[in-house]
Amino acid sequence: MSSLQSNVDSTNSETLQRSNPKKRRKIGHTNSPTLVPWRSDTQQRIYSSKLADALRHVLRRNHPPPPVKSNTGREVRETADRVLAATAKGRTRWSRAILASPLNRWKLRRMHKKVHKAATGLGKRPPETRRRLPVVQKKARLLSRLVPGCRKLSFPNLLEEATDYISALEMQVRAMTALTELLAGGTSQAAA
Amino acid sequence: MSSRRSRSRQSGVSTEITDAQITDLVSKLQQLIPELRARRSDKVSASKVLQETCNYIKNLHREVDDLSDRLSELLANTDSNSAQAAIIRSLLM
Repeated sequence: MSSLQSNVDSTNSETLQRSNPKKRRKIGHTNSPTLVPWRSDTQQRIYSSKLADALRHVLRRNHPPPPVKSNTGREVRETADRVLAATAKGRTRWSRAILASPLNRWKLRRMHKKVHKAATGLGKRPPETRRRLPVVQKKARLLSRLVPGCRKLSFPNLLEEATDYISALEMQVRAMTALTELLAGGTSQAAA
Repeated sequence: MSSRRSRSRQSGVSTEITDAQITDLVSKLQQLIPELRARRSDKVSASKVLQETCNYIKNLHREVDDLSDRLSELLANTDSNSAQAAIIRSLLM
């Protein structure tokens, strides 16, 4: 875990010192209110500034633009994900998983791209009463493959991670959209 | 999923996973997904919530991919035009 900490620290040491000390979450612990408020403007501003910093590094590294331009999209995506995970301050499992293995994720993604079958609609019984229904299990397995680092998680923890992950992704989309519009607005103004 | 019971037995704390807990989490998840937000929880089954969650996450991933592609294009094209490059450099550098 210490190596993870050093990675997180290198990108956002100031924010870590400024924010509250981290609270540990035990497995099976319910409803911890210490998760990041992804909807607040502050969080988006923090994420945007960190993303700009990270993209700065990417830009500098690629300043003589590489002949194969297809890679930069992926680099930007990985950078954005890593900055997102860093903003999560390592409290959630998916953020730790992203920070732990940025290299393996994309290779695994491309190898394990399966075609998901459409829902057959077999189990029409109310699945909330018996949570070991195979239909719900299958869907839960799908979900665990989508959220990074959650393959061996128990069902309620998986749901918790999924809710946090969705809020984080929404914030990521908002921040990147704003940044893209800002940059595109700059280019269109100059061209006009 | 079968490891759930053994984990609660191994840990010292009695962490039973109740149905109420699960329905609570499912309803919280349901509130996040825009397609299911209008419906009542008693009409939406957990499997549908999970299915829509998977679809929603896939959509969000696709959006982030598109955005990052656009961003990379914008960043790659900054060197061509000096006026744009000045603006962008003032923002990012």
